[in-house]
Amino acid sequence: MITLGIETATQVVSVAVGGDDGVLGMVEIAQGRRHAETLAPAIEFVCRHAQVAIGEIAAIGVDVGPGLFTGMRVGIASAKAMAHALQVPVVGVSSLDLLAHPLRHTSKVIAGVIDARKGEVFYAFFLPTPGGVQRVTEPRVGSIEDFNADVMARGQDVLAVGDGACRYRDELDIGVEVADLAHPSVASLVTLARARVLRSDLEALRADDVQPMYLRAPDAQINWSVR
Amino acid sequence: MRAVTVDESTVVLGIETSCDETAASIVMGGSDVLSSVVATSIEQHVPFGGVVPEIASRAHVELIVPVIARAIEEAGIADTRIDAIAATFGPGLIGALLVGVSAAKALALVWDVPFVGVNHLEAHLYAGLLEDPDLEFPLVVLLVSGGHTMLVEMSGPGRYRLLGETIDDAAGEAFDKVARFLGLGYPGGPAIDREAAFGDPEAIAFPRAIPDSLDFSFSGVKTSVINHVRKHPDVSTADVAASFQTAIVDSLVAKARRAARQVGAKGLALGGGVAANSLLRDRWVEACDEDGIRAFVPSRAMCTDNAAMIAAAGWHRLGSDGPTSLEAGAYPGLRLSMD
Ligand SMILES: [Zn+2]
Repeated sequence: MITLGIETATQVVSVAVGGDDGVLGMVEIAQGRRHAETLAPAIEFVCRHAQVAIGEIAAIGVDVGPGLFTGMRVGIASAKAMAHALQVPVVGVSSLDLLAHPLRHTSKVIAGVIDARKGEVFYAFFLPTPGGVQRVTEPRVGSIEDFNADVMARGQDVLAVGDGACRYRDELDIGVEVADLAHPSVASLVTLARARVLRSDLEALRADDVQPMYLRAPDAQINWSVR
Repeated sequence: MRAVTVDESTVVLGIETSCDETAASIVMGGSDVLSSVVATSIEQHVPFGGVVPEIASRAHVELIVPVIARAIEEAGIADTRIDAIAATFGPGLIGALLVGVSAAKALALVWDVPFVGVNHLEAHLYAGLLEDPDLEFPLVVLLVSGGHTMLVEMSGPGRYRLLGETIDDAAGEAFDKVARFLGLGYPGGPAIDREAAFGDPEAIAFPRAIPDSLDFSFSGVKTSVINHVRKHPDVSTADVAASFQTAIVDSLVAKARRAARQVGAKGLALGGGVAANSLLRDRWVEACDEDGIRAFVPSRAMCTDNAAMIAAAGWHRLGSDGPTSLEAGAYPGLRLSMD
């Protein structure tokens, strides 16, 4: 079964196709932040060079955030439109899960931390489990102080990952180690989406509406409630 | 990519997401509208008195695929019958445009058909041709909406010359601001149109056009309305609305007529959201009758943002310029390319 992964929720645009034995092709563009310009050509390139016909794609995984609103929407609109045209299931996976999953072999608590701008981060905590990670807190948005307080409350060593962890490296609590990895992994996206499709009822997945995870009200609504 | 010959049987899926409407349409041969579906998030913007970009973008990403699916279903065609995907890539709200452009490129990839980026303003000009393909050139088009007020000479499909435009507010913007000031709500165009029906259009003489130019200015009228109401707090709101609307429509019609005379136009066409205004529509037809030229007033559904006009413009663009690269983005400040 061929699975396509689309990751555009942070500064990076990445695309991968996976088959039954793992990733067949992958492209990652970390500079430019031109999601809409890069995505479709990247999908075309990856499929062509991995010798996968677009029509062979049997499932699509997409990063639904939290992250950059515009980037997330580019990926989600593309994934939903492709899934509709191909008549295949589409699976949404959180950017925080895609940060934590590659670190599943650690023994520490993992924190996915994404830069949310305005002095805030999106974050959630994960525990490594056999073969993967398990998210143990709801994704939330807060200041670095909020994040540090949550780390303190856990009372365990934390391995933080993501562009938010990198940006605020110097302000993080002692007991927090920052992984070099900064971007949600599209290889993990392909793995996780494929696993979800294989263990789900396809009809349910097809009807499943993949929703962006914003974690913030639109700006204008906040202003309105303040007035 | 499959080679495309653009002819009467070419089927284009049009997609429009530049502002608060999420629209999709199937058009055959550039003029035969097989379906046209429009969803809008306007109700979510009403409390703010204007379109909130982030709210519009969130609505687009939810609506885009269902709207496209419905357009195809209503057209009664198979997906394989679609020869090209056209989407608005500017001007408009960047986050909103990107949703439509992304979906369009994704469909083009899967169906292996060309993607065509369409200029929203050019599409409004095609709205006229869509309902009347036999329209003769040269033609003067008044494109009047919340974001634009321009007089364009169209000497043939895809050939334009800008004759005049607003130097301050767009006409639709003036309607919104005055409606808001009068407490008539948002969107202002329909609100003023409704209120004006109960008022005397000659009650108050608000200033008209700038003489000797085909450019427009509406901020003076808007300021006069505000000053008048402050000076006469008991004035009838209906009279103010009617007099204001008449002042705006007078200057739109007068400049359009002068432009038509100047270029020897065979007809005068209206386009854009403000073209749904009742008084403007009536006066447009009267003026053309008097001047012995053809009036073209599109249906209200074709004046406001829709995807049939995007598909039609896309059909013409594909024929003249071929497909747009999948590396294209969205261009919020895109202008009409002029001769
Ligand atoms: Zn428009």
